[in-house]
Amino acid sequence: MTEEQKISVLSVDGLTKDYPGVRAVDNVTFSIQNSVVHCLVGENGAGKSTLVKMLTGALAPTTGAMTVNGKTYAPTSPQEARVSGIATLFQELHVVNELTVLENLTLGMEKSRFGFFVKSDLEDRVTQTLATIEPAIDPAARVSTLSVAQKQIVEIARAASSGANIIIMDEPTAALSEREVERLFTVIRRLRENNVTVIYISHKLDEIFELGDTVTVMRDGKHITTCPLSDVDGRAELIEMMIGRTVFQSYSPRGKIGDKVVLKAEGLNTKLLKDVSFDIKEGEIIGFYGLVGAGKTEVARALFGADTFDGKVTFHGKPGGRTPKEAIAKGIALVPEERRTQGLFTSLTIRENVPVMNLPRVTQNGVFKAEDVRTAAEAFVTQLGIATSSIEKHTEKLSGGNQQKVVLAKCLFSQADLLLLDEPTRGVDVGAKTEIYEIIKDLANEGNAVAVFSSELEEVLGICDRVFLMFDGCLQEEIENGPNVDIAHILNVVTGGQDEDAR
Amino acid sequence: MSSQSKTAELSVTSGAANFLRNYYIYFVLVAVVALLSLANLDQFALFERGNFLNKRNIINILRVSAPILVVAGAFTLLMVSGYIDLSIGSTMGLTAVIYAMLAINGMPFVPAFLLTMLAGAVLGAINGILVVRLNITPVIATLITLSLFKGIALLLVQDGVSAIKSGGGLKMPAWFNDYGRDGVFLKLPAAFWVAVAVTLVLIVVQNRGKLGKYAAATGGNPTAAKLSGINTGRTVFLLYVIVGVTAALAGIARSSFMSLGDPLSGDGMELTAILVVLLGGTAFSGGEGRVLRSFVGALIIMALTVGMLTIVPAYYQTLVIGAALLTAAATNHLVSQKGKVS
Repeated sequence: MTEEQKISVLSVDGLTKDYPGVRAVDNVTFSIQNSVVHCLVGENGAGKSTLVKMLTGALAPTTGAMTVNGKTYAPTSPQEARVSGIATLFQELHVVNELTVLENLTLGMEKSRFGFFVKSDLEDRVTQTLATIEPAIDPAARVSTLSVAQKQIVEIARAASSGANIIIMDEPTAALSEREVERLFTVIRRLRENNVTVIYISHKLDEIFELGDTVTVMRDGKHITTCPLSDVDGRAELIEMMIGRTVFQSYSPRGKIGDKVVLKAEGLNTKLLKDVSFDIKEGEIIGFYGLVGAGKTEVARALFGADTFDGKVTFHGKPGGRTPKEAIAKGIALVPEERRTQGLFTSLTIRENVPVMNLPRVTQNGVFKAEDVRTAAEAFVTQLGIATSSIEKHTEKLSGGNQQKVVLAKCLFSQADLLLLDEPTRGVDVGAKTEIYEIIKDLANEGNAVAVFSSELEEVLGICDRVFLMFDGCLQEEIENGPNVDIAHILNVVTGGQDEDAR
Repeated sequence: MSSQSKTAELSVTSGAANFLRNYYIYFVLVAVVALLSLANLDQFALFERGNFLNKRNIINILRVSAPILVVAGAFTLLMVSGYIDLSIGSTMGLTAVIYAMLAINGMPFVPAFLLTMLAGAVLGAINGILVVRLNITPVIATLITLSLFKGIALLLVQDGVSAIKSGGGLKMPAWFNDYGRDGVFLKLPAAFWVAVAVTLVLIVVQNRGKLGKYAAATGGNPTAAKLSGINTGRTVFLLYVIVGVTAALAGIARSSFMSLGDPLSGDGMELTAILVVLLGGTAFSGGEGRVLRSFVGALIIMALTVGMLTIVPAYYQTLVIGAALLTAAATNHLVSQKGKVS
């Protein structure tokens, strides 16, 4: 391709997005040329998803401007974005299972007269587009009979045939098998040949090196660089650009870890997990660190009995719980990753939320001991420092951090001695984060075992005594936390570096 | 290799499931008719009963089926879009009263017919506004209009009488019966043929029309539909209006058949419609369902209800209908489960 053929299809200029107290995207400027695969990388919280939301019209920038295909671009919805030429492949698939592939491809674009479809070249055109990028999909098949990967390709074909010349793909390989990933890559390369620019977001760095032409690195909301990938000297340099010189909260050994093994997991296998084995000791905080989709939540859910699994869990020398009810009864509690939908009854008050995991404790002959509940709730508000005017406050009105403390109170009330904390500080402000870390440490010092499942490295290295690095459903490595942990090595492992070395 | 054989196995299962999904309703119809015809002996000896496959009996069944046959198709499309209308019985009752009032006060057939259809459209539009504009849950919204429309219908009928009928100086015109009773073709009345015509139109709408496809998209994946630029609100609103119009046609048919405008003449119609549509394989959750299969489902239910009159005592009927609903729901569940393998 000669120089003059390269034209900028998308440029952002001084793009900034402020949230109360946080600048998620800070004065970002770069541009992308046509017919390339442009990768967008950065750690969690680097501002990638906020940037993408602004590109797709889901969020309006605080300041700054965008230009798409030579025109000023300020979409207010994904539909508007598509009209301007930007289509997005969301992680959640937007296809209609009940219709055929062809019906999905033409959905919303049909030519009709008096409400009835008329013959046009549309069907031929979309069939052609589909055949170009993936001939193996039968246009007459019902979408419900396709695999996730095929549905994804149907969506890509629809984006391509709707005239979009920029397609944003957000972690498109998260739910795909290795073979399906290869097929998707072939599709993406064909798109590139057909003059489509793909903005590719992934945590998996080997995918980026395999597929990408150019890359934009973001860190802490700031634009670090935009350059051809050929200028990047391998994973190490890319990782360095991603983490920069981030100062991690210093970890100090608490020195109170007992010798007694509280829980032992041997050979856990689920759809995603592969032969996961580890143990947790009394008074210990262990961490599971990995990218979204690495299997952290699956480990937590298996230990809590929320998902079925093969393998053996021993808890205090006895088999672990196979259902959440059993797990709670044995002394395991889970703080789930989705606080509002899985952790709390947001329409109930603090007082009503606290006892739900262990109602027998406050029930006598089938009657609720209201006074005991009130006392317990009051005690937790003080102990955990829940900022509220009263225990009668509805939990939906609390801030994220205080909601999370209520979830913790609920777990503590169940008298668990093993706490599974899945993303314990997601959506929690900095101040409350520190408080929650203190609470977690206190709980461990009291002899409880704690497992933290997190996609924030800073969090895991800040509080955990031992860290398990996860990638693709496997425990890749176990690390003793300390002042000399090699962060670049950790990032290499969780982005699939070890697998690559092994090859 | 093992994964390949597994795929093959899956496609065989889903092929069988598809066949079952597409054609089971016809087998059910044949089975019901066969059973009813076989059981033609006077086993209960309560009063005289005839052979089910008797010409007059068939004509009678199709004649009284007109109301459910005319609403089934539109009701299917509404359920395919993921919505429901519990007020169709009340709409039917109210429009029956309106039609009878217009007729008894001297309005000729055609304008009375058209005005009543318009009334049905307005009632459907009210449901549409409640659901689409005011965002009220469809079940709640149409429960509200169920009592609202019935209340209006009851108000329209004078104190002391139960329905609009001849009397007190007013007389139903002679033509009033014709639409629902007089055989115009194959000894079947216009009401039946109108139901057939409406069904045919809706079959085309479902297969070749924007509305049919958009209904499936709205019910199947509303976000995907919206992202494709489909105005899902307008789709749903339009479907409510169409359901209202067909409910009015049902009201006219019933009113004409009974020669009176009974405000309660549509009572229970919503349950029959749900039953019929489910029996036809429509998914309660939306996305899935065929107009033609609901039409057949309606024939089955009517064959059962009316057919049983000739064979078994009335008190068995509710039980048999319950059993039919159970079968429909279970089949629906099984078929949609199987369709979801892969």
